[in-house]
Amino acid sequence: MVQKDIVIVGLNHRSAPIEVRESVAFESDYLRDALSRLHNYPSIDEGVILSTCNRVEVVAAASDSATAYQDIGSFLAEQKSQYNGLALDDHTYRYRGADAVRHLFRVAASLDSMVVGEPQILGQLKQHYDAAQQAGSVGTILHRLFHRSFSVAKRVRSETGIGSGAVSVSSVAVDLAKRIFDRFDDKTVMLIGAGKMGDLMARHLQSQGVRSLMVTNRTFERAVELAERIHGNPIRFEDFPQYLKMADLVIGCTGAPEVLVDAAQVEKVLRERKHKAMFFIDIGDRRNFDGKINDLDNVYLYNIDDLKNVAEENLQGRSNEAAKAESIVGEEVQSFLRWIGSLEQVPTITALRQRFDDIRRGEIEKSLGGGLKTLSAEQRAALDDMTTAMINKLLHSPIAQLKSRNDNDDEAALYIAALKKLFDLEGK
Amino acid sequence: MEVLFIKLTALIYLFSAASFFYFVFRRDTASPWPALSLSAGLLLHSLALVIRFANEGFAAVALMGEALLFKSWLMVAVYLLIQLKYRLTVLGGIVAPLAFLMCVAALAFGKSGGEVPPGLETFWLPLHVTLAFLGNAVFALAFGVSLIYLLQERHLKHKKMTGLLKRFPPLESLDRLNLLLLVWGFPLMTLGILTGSLWAGIHWGDYWSWEPRQISSGIAWLFYGAILHSRITAGLRGKKAALLTMVGFCVVLGYFLWGDTFFPSRHGGRFQ
Repeated sequence: MVQKDIVIVGLNHRSAPIEVRESVAFESDYLRDALSRLHNYPSIDEGVILSTCNRVEVVAAASDSATAYQDIGSFLAEQKSQYNGLALDDHTYRYRGADAVRHLFRVAASLDSMVVGEPQILGQLKQHYDAAQQAGSVGTILHRLFHRSFSVAKRVRSETGIGSGAVSVSSVAVDLAKRIFDRFDDKTVMLIGAGKMGDLMARHLQSQGVRSLMVTNRTFERAVELAERIHGNPIRFEDFPQYLKMADLVIGCTGAPEVLVDAAQVEKVLRERKHKAMFFIDIGDRRNFDGKINDLDNVYLYNIDDLKNVAEENLQGRSNEAAKAESIVGEEVQSFLRWIGSLEQVPTITALRQRFDDIRRGEIEKSLGGGLKTLSAEQRAALDDMTTAMINKLLHSPIAQLKSRNDNDDEAALYIAALKKLFDLEGK
Repeated sequence: MEVLFIKLTALIYLFSAASFFYFVFRRDTASPWPALSLSAGLLLHSLALVIRFANEGFAAVALMGEALLFKSWLMVAVYLLIQLKYRLTVLGGIVAPLAFLMCVAALAFGKSGGEVPPGLETFWLPLHVTLAFLGNAVFALAFGVSLIYLLQERHLKHKKMTGLLKRFPPLESLDRLNLLLLVWGFPLMTLGILTGSLWAGIHWGDYWSWEPRQISSGIAWLFYGAILHSRITAGLRGKKAALLTMVGFCVVLGYFLWGDTFFPSRHGGRFQ
């Protein structure tokens, strides 16, 4: 048996600009077709294509990694035919063996993502693996490799804080709202300004259960328009201060140069609503809300810079957690390599035994046909037992050694290679 | 026998405290293990109390060391009830170490403080003591909830996001729980004071003797009553409510720390 290697050729957001990535991206409709084309290369025993907006990668199991590199290269080049620009080679990376395993585990654990810790990549990986499985281009090795990578991703997610903390402005705002309020279905949101950002934030809050939404804008028509889109109630701009007391969350996203709500106003509103907590989110181009609002009890004010700071801190936190994640990946790579190694150990041991037994039988036959022709049946049986025992004893120590090499892959590979060479086991 | 149990209980509470910290720190507040370990402690704790009760009668709980044992038992039990419904793992991080310290203190104090005269061992004793202690336990938890509220509130105001606080419950839940504990604690305290007063009236003939304990309880009672009243009618809530709840418990606690030492009285074990 010839050892199979794992090979990855690909390009991602770091190695290639978006135009290049797009030019080789695989539409999901053509994925099946592409997989069978990939599988048709004689050098590719098993193959999976991963294609997302940030990366295109081909993961393969191959007997000859050098040929596989070339074949995957031309496979990708073929895909890129409509793109007449730079050579693809400048933008691709290649990994084999342990490096390839590590790379795939890092991708699955979202360590290689543009936003480290983003959770989508695992789902995408599973999707593309499933597609490959349906196309019949997955065998024992990639099956094991991908399933291993899924569980590595899960382990990283549960044992490190890599996915924790919101890293976008609107999800940070929702996170903060969740630390103030414990439920949203009884909360009312007031959206001041019909900007895109506010729209997004309102939808984000609706997904948390917010049902009551007021929308106001200087141009009433735009308020009506947006209110219709997000199932809110439009309110005239002059009237919004009267409705303020009903709002638990107030989002300001106007480009107005003046402050729309000041602290004295909020103080009054608070008394009217019996000091029930309020959360002001200021994501306007300029400050929509008076900064002193934050000094009032039971009121919290975050402006766009505060939200960005939190997002920044969370991102920093994620990269600190990434170090922990890397060491988990390291462990898992080792354990995967041990499994690959063990795939090869068994055939080597079998071949070794076979070789010795062949020699033994050959020599016995020769002797029984010549000098030992006169032996009785019992004596022949005794001779057979004796030679078998001899060979077992001779082989006992080397086989035991080989089996115990499990935890040291380099050494195991060395022993296997040596045995193959010394006893000419190749091709048996 | 029960001393060994109490020692073991203290050990389990210590372990439980560590597990609360560990799981909160790991951001895994959904894990059942901290609460389970605390429950295991409570079970052993109950056994110890039952043995002591069987051997020496309920009166034993009126004395300093045993009082702490009974109080910590009530506190842990009430906390576990709250945890069942409200999942307030963070509060366990306060309750478990406190329970540990109270058990250790109980062991250190031992059976000091004299004996309860035989004439006092009527049904009034368990009734008064249980109600009063239960009220205290509930207020102790309200104190913990308020402390968590203030920490969370401070961080939100100052826009500082430390990892640990991310797992604290939302302010709204903490505030609601604070009110709930007040709503339960206040009647318990009222009944505790009433039964005590009636008992004193029946036994000694004076319903109110201006003892330090009575005075401090009276102040705390008025204080909690005022908080509850403003919460319900004037919309007192949030930070101020949390601060006042903590002050109220300090009045209760103040007596336990120095009351008996400086003002010997019936509550301090001098029953004549």
